[in-house]
Amino acid sequence: MQVSARHQKHRLATLVGFLPLIIFLALLLYVGLNAPNFMTVVNLKLVLAQSLPVVLSVIGLSAVVMAGGDDVVSGGIDLSTPATAVLCAGIVSVMTTAGQPLLIAAGASLIACMLVGVVNAVLITRLRMAPLLATLAMFVAVVGINNVITARKRLNLAAESIASLRQDFVFGIPLGILLVAVLALLAYHFLHRSKWGLNLQAAGGSRDAAEISGIRVDRLVAQTYLLAAFMGFVTGFFMLARANGYSPGAQDNLMLEMVLATFLGAAFSPRRIVTVWGAILGAVLVAAISIGLKTIGVNVFWTDLIKGALIVIVVALSAISERVQ
Amino acid sequence: MTEAAFQLSGIVQTFPGVRALDGADLMVRPGEVHGLVGENGAGKSTIIKVLAGVYQPAEGRIEVGGSTISPATPEKIRDAGVRFIHQELHLVPYFTVAESVFMGQEISGPFGLCKREMRSRAEAFLREELGSELPGNRLIRDLSPAERKLVQVARALVDGAAKVVVFDEPTAPLASEEVLKIMTAIAKLKTRGIAILYVSHYLNEIVDICDRVTVFRQGKNVAIFDEITTDTGPALVSAMIGRDLDAFFPTSSRSAGEVALRLEHFDDGQAFSDVNLDIRRGEIFGIAGLIGSGREELIDALYGLRKSQGTLTLDGATVDTKTAAKAVANGMVLVPRDRRHDGLVLPMTVAENATLATLDENATFGLIDRGKARQVTEALIKDLDIRPSNAQAVTRFLSGGNQQKVVLARWLAKSAKVFIFDEPTVGVDVGAKAEIYQLIENLASEGAIILISSSDPVELVGTCDRVAVMMRGDVRTIIEKQDLNVDHLVAVTTGATSVSETEHAS
Amino acid sequence: MDNVVRQNRLSLRSILMRFGFLIVFALFFLFFAAWNPVFVQGQNLLNIVEGSAILIIVAMGMTLIVATGGIDLSVGIALDFGAAFAVVAMKSYGMGWFSAACVGLIGGSLVGLLNAALVVGLRISPFLATLGTFFIGSSAQRIFTNGGGPISYRKMPEGFRDIAQGDLYGIPTEVIIAAVLVLIYYLVLERSVWGRRVHAMGMQRSASIVAGIRVNRILIACFVFASITCAVGGLIAAANIRMFTPLSGFSYLLDAIAAVFIGAALHPRGRPNVLGTLAGVLFLGMITNGLNLMGLNFNTKDALSGIILVSALALAVAQRNMRNADGD
Repeated sequence: MQVSARHQKHRLATLVGFLPLIIFLALLLYVGLNAPNFMTVVNLKLVLAQSLPVVLSVIGLSAVVMAGGDDVVSGGIDLSTPATAVLCAGIVSVMTTAGQPLLIAAGASLIACMLVGVVNAVLITRLRMAPLLATLAMFVAVVGINNVITARKRLNLAAESIASLRQDFVFGIPLGILLVAVLALLAYHFLHRSKWGLNLQAAGGSRDAAEISGIRVDRLVAQTYLLAAFMGFVTGFFMLARANGYSPGAQDNLMLEMVLATFLGAAFSPRRIVTVWGAILGAVLVAAISIGLKTIGVNVFWTDLIKGALIVIVVALSAISERVQ
Repeated sequence: MTEAAFQLSGIVQTFPGVRALDGADLMVRPGEVHGLVGENGAGKSTIIKVLAGVYQPAEGRIEVGGSTISPATPEKIRDAGVRFIHQELHLVPYFTVAESVFMGQEISGPFGLCKREMRSRAEAFLREELGSELPGNRLIRDLSPAERKLVQVARALVDGAAKVVVFDEPTAPLASEEVLKIMTAIAKLKTRGIAILYVSHYLNEIVDICDRVTVFRQGKNVAIFDEITTDTGPALVSAMIGRDLDAFFPTSSRSAGEVALRLEHFDDGQAFSDVNLDIRRGEIFGIAGLIGSGREELIDALYGLRKSQGTLTLDGATVDTKTAAKAVANGMVLVPRDRRHDGLVLPMTVAENATLATLDENATFGLIDRGKARQVTEALIKDLDIRPSNAQAVTRFLSGGNQQKVVLARWLAKSAKVFIFDEPTVGVDVGAKAEIYQLIENLASEGAIILISSSDPVELVGTCDRVAVMMRGDVRTIIEKQDLNVDHLVAVTTGATSVSETEHAS
Repeated sequence: MDNVVRQNRLSLRSILMRFGFLIVFALFFLFFAAWNPVFVQGQNLLNIVEGSAILIIVAMGMTLIVATGGIDLSVGIALDFGAAFAVVAMKSYGMGWFSAACVGLIGGSLVGLLNAALVVGLRISPFLATLGTFFIGSSAQRIFTNGGGPISYRKMPEGFRDIAQGDLYGIPTEVIIAAVLVLIYYLVLERSVWGRRVHAMGMQRSASIVAGIRVNRILIACFVFASITCAVGGLIAAANIRMFTPLSGFSYLLDAIAAVFIGAALHPRGRPNVLGTLAGVLFLGMITNGLNLMGLNFNTKDALSGIILVSALALAVAQRNMRNADGD
């Protein structure tokens, strides 16, 4: 009798665990029924295109969380990625507007972005600063520096080739979506199907276990912050493409969406952990909900409220299913 | 005879204020299972850490496979083929068996991880070397404690280079029926010529499995048993505690009063069911039981740290202890087993910790009266002989025994009626241990109700008037004072003697 | 000999680490004073304090939450709610200044209640719970103001305006309010029985439970108390500019967190503490003021203070590490 009770509990936990996904799908179904043209290929492309910057930045963030552990305060987190992204966008815009070739501009912003990653890694693995604090402070500093570089002005796209991320098509698929898909697959491979990725997960799952097994945890953690900075660099170009130029102040929203998508993604994964694919799914679903609500005429001011409620519901459900287990 | 697989000779290891190892020797031969026993604080864990290269001893020599390793670093020791099965599990709960076995030594090809090969090799290793049929794709969090232990063993040995394996309390978290799985695995390793050092509190296991046994006391090896017979058990006990057994445990002239604390129908629906106990005033009542017996869970439930049903009656009145705060308010206090986690707020000072439960008494208008709090603390430091005798010392840096005294000091200040001690002397040095036993004895003499839950049979026999033995969630029997001896207690606790036989004997 | 040199260097390093932050504080002070003598004039120093008043108040609330072992990303929302409720109470319901202020505080406490419900009731980690509150609270403001336009009320009662613009013997009211709050927080968090329990819970929750502390009750009280404190900051902000500006509280968040962690690093045992936080806020205020006096462009000033923030935090943390290493 005890066994069957435990079995029932287990099933209940699994059910509660699937609720976040069910809620999302139900919400999308509702939108689809109310706005018949929502579920079209054109619209899906729009959703994907809209979500690209978030998808790219969550790749970096999920690597950081996987290696550092998913406790938001003491574990791994990189809030500075969005600032790195706008730094890249800012440097590239300013330099190309000034007539520099795109390649040089990209090189300069790559150096700047990786420097941010190095500082993060040093603060966190050398000084043992809490990642939340270190990357939050870096966020402020990098945004400040970027504001000096761009003087907080809107800059139109000077390098036309960046626009091809949005405009060009390969086999009928937008080039940007294709590129991000390739990057996502690579990230999935390296983070989930390689020795490096498994070691990363071991470090985040149990630092002691990883160290006993001879894994150099600090080095791995440092590498994830560099990866996150690199993903910030890539994100910058897609932000430029999406907004057709540099517009100031994009980092705040990106930061919130990135955190939302990543921790939402953990609720989708069967092991209840942050994964790359979960985070990407989270990013796409959040974009779909935002666009979907807009199509059925929900006041745009309500979207944040719905997102906030989603965080709370999803995280609470995942905590409850853990407790039931 | 065969030469040593490893040999430690004349090891001296000191810590501030403590000489943890005082010229200790330890030698283990290939293909033998060598037991290492001793009380808490005898130096067992220290010598293991010396062998692991974690501590650099002040004196002494470390030889593995005939060659001296100096200085011994964890890397060199590992390269020499010495592997450790730590007491803590150190596994990632959401990893699979295969991923855990190959952690840090994954097999990968040009296209990333070879998950299938890792899985089949992990399964083969578990089956052939450890006699276990664990599927490689199961998640660690779905495994039983014994299965997790086996995964840990497989991780240490899968590279095939192990010559010496140290098991540190491998059976501590296991239910008795699961211990067999570990024993089977160890027997298999032995046939391969691997030297095994087996550290355990459970003397019956030592007698069952070991070929030779070294006994540690006060930082030294005090006896080596080359032949193990059924009579070795009692001899081990006396070697462990030395001749001064009587001096070690306080003598008592107490006589227990009427029943004062009554547990009725305690049940948490999982770890224990329908526990009923009557405990008398001025009595020291012990609870024995292996991990998995429900003993720890019962203690947690009594103190409101775990949900359960049942009625608790204190001095004839039903008391609510559904939360720890209510338990404290009703005069019941707990000295927890994990004192660094649950007992002390480690970053706080001795004064802050000692007055944490009596802040209201040391305050005026809600503001802490620092002078009064210091006076109270200083009196407690003096009474309990806490060292250093500095109220402002941060408790993180105190020795285990002194930390335990600070926890006790807090509850003495509270003048509680019921004291629950959970593993009161784990990680406590021998000197402080005797003092803590004396304090417990004094409390009982003053009419307090004392419950001691312990995994150490010597401790229970030395301190308790009666001991309840738990097994698989039930109280199997209560051993009265006249029948209380280590052999009998161990036999009943581990299930070697069934309860019906016990009743025959008594 | 090699050894001796190394030891000397080590001790120099440890001196730098031990007093590093104070030295940096002093160096910046001297630097700004040398650049522009106006910096050290009494009126300017008072300006620094007055300019920091709201941040001091918000940082007090943050100190309390960090002392419980959590973090509060929704302090800005509580501030906004305090301002919004008070302004609307006066403008739309014609309330007197005192009742309007009380309504503002109640409005702020709603934020704390929501946080407490999420953290204590649903056991969501404070970071994610307060992030959720942040989203919800921001959206609520946008919905209410139809997109985020300010609600201005020029004819604000005199009494309410005095919360920010009045003075007592020449000392601005907002400074007095901040000082009173600092005193209350100091007594409650550092001197009282209740505060000791908060610290114990924040450092080691499980041990505090075993010691008989009612941690959930304390946590709820802390979230509510902190949000009411932030709402006081909101009242001052609203009185200052005679309007409620939606989403303006967010700008205090990072500075408040930074001040608390700088303050914790200044404490001999690394605890978040009221006086340390005050020092942290004044440090940040001094930097802003000093950079202003240097006549730097707005963006440059922002970037510099960001860089100083990172360095100050790094230094503070390094200092704490040194101390812990010494203690071992």
